[in-house]
Amino acid sequence: MAELSWVRQYVILERAALRAQLQYRVNFWTTLMGGVAYQGTQLLFLGVLLGKFGLIAGWGFPEVAFVFAMRLASHAFYVVPFGALMRTDEMVRDGEFDRVLLRPVNPFLQLVTRWFPLMALGDALLGFGALAIFGWQAPVDWSATKLVYLILAVVCGGLVETGIQTVFCGLSFVATSTFSLRIFADNSITQFSGYPLTMFGRTTFYAFCTVFPMAFISFLPATVLLDRTDDVPLPVWLITASPLAGPIVFALSYAFFTKMMPRYTSPGS
Amino acid sequence: MSHVGTLRAFRGMTRAGTRSVLIYRGDLITGAATLVIQVALAIAVWRIVYGGRGPVDGVDVKTAVAYAAIAACLQSVLLPWQFSSLPMRIRNGQIATDLTRPLGLIWQILGQNLGVLLGRLPLGAIGLAVAAVLGALTLPPGWGAGLLALVATVGGALVAMLCNLIVSMVTFWTFEVGGPLIVYRFGSAFLSGSLIPLWFMPGWLRASVEWLPFQAQVYTPVSIYLGQTRGGEALALVGVQLVWVVVLAFLLELVWRRARHKVVVQGG
Repeated sequence: MAELSWVRQYVILERAALRAQLQYRVNFWTTLMGGVAYQGTQLLFLGVLLGKFGLIAGWGFPEVAFVFAMRLASHAFYVVPFGALMRTDEMVRDGEFDRVLLRPVNPFLQLVTRWFPLMALGDALLGFGALAIFGWQAPVDWSATKLVYLILAVVCGGLVETGIQTVFCGLSFVATSTFSLRIFADNSITQFSGYPLTMFGRTTFYAFCTVFPMAFISFLPATVLLDRTDDVPLPVWLITASPLAGPIVFALSYAFFTKMMPRYTSPGS
Repeated sequence: MSHVGTLRAFRGMTRAGTRSVLIYRGDLITGAATLVIQVALAIAVWRIVYGGRGPVDGVDVKTAVAYAAIAACLQSVLLPWQFSSLPMRIRNGQIATDLTRPLGLIWQILGQNLGVLLGRLPLGAIGLAVAAVLGALTLPPGWGAGLLALVATVGGALVAMLCNLIVSMVTFWTFEVGGPLIVYRFGSAFLSGSLIPLWFMPGWLRASVEWLPFQAQVYTPVSIYLGQTRGGEALALVGVQLVWVVVLAFLLELVWRRARHKVVVQGG
């Protein structure tokens, strides 16, 4: 397999995974709708809440909706290529990870291509749609630089989320189940990362920048685009550099994953 | 099988369901810890949203905050991510063994679901305890309301289990049920009122939601507990729950009758 680059390996395996998922037609369409429904309910929630109360911590609907859209588009960059990480627990528990170790392909690559999360396509559909609509309506003076910054922020935000999930994969080699942690990460990011995160108080905000780096997914770069960096208790250069957190978080968590992998013990042996 | 035998078999399934939750201790502990964080954040969001203003649509900040906290706990118990192993059992052929058991398949699954629900009760209790510590809980307006809320919670649990099972049954036709389950899960998270109480929804949305079984799962018990729905109106909501239980049970029987002819044992 040495002659194939990992990108090529990824493409081949991912295509096979997608084909496997597409054989269940009804499931394909309902899952696609599931993705839209899942994220759509959040948008509906924000709409109802802001429709009733006007502002959240000084942020109005166009701003909150813009952060929501950035978050969801970022989420698509995690869940479309890497969403299969969600099922690592199962593989470790059932001993299927044995097979991964036997094949001459990078184990992480095998994990992410083992199964194609169809729902991700729904997320992507709504995410990019929302970004186009709410990006247009947001109080942002768009320029080419800002557009490039937006794209960079969205892609790097996806890497932050991938990094968080990769850490859980590393943990699953020692813990029997990390399901609750994964659901927690997914739920928290879905439910709360769209809010102006500084509203939860300084300590919680700093926790969102370090322990659980949700602030980097969309909030921090969004404050740069919305010209609201004054709301954030961090230096402006640091906020502006926030997309860099994506590759950093991902690299660190991948290192953690490879360090934990030798701890895997095959069940039933 | 005699009635006693049936009951004993059902209890056995329930116990197995509870054990399937309690066996993963680490998961349960992180589940509790994460529910606590979610409850705390939900409380914070509603307090910030109100930001010192008076009642909105006749609902004050205390009631809205208590609603958010209780609904989050109730949702984690009533609407768990994985309720039953039915879809998996159909996919890998284990359904063949299930069908040969003397206890009917529906009762096996309901027993197991009830077990999962009981196993998750401590989680909900921890969430509520934290909400109480954070000063987010209020007491019901009286004994009557408290008791009726309890009855409504049982009704909500029944509606939730029946809905979940009907959706899981789709696997008999499609083999994969991830999609329908997700649509159901998030549809119900919003439509049951666990994300936002029905009283804040715009008129058109509320009117449509009232025609669906989901509000019976979360909104009905919580709004009765908080005294937002009282007297005859509260009794009517519990009555609606009862109607849904009957309708859904009938629907389940109908779906199961058709599904029985669709059973394909994979890998057999």
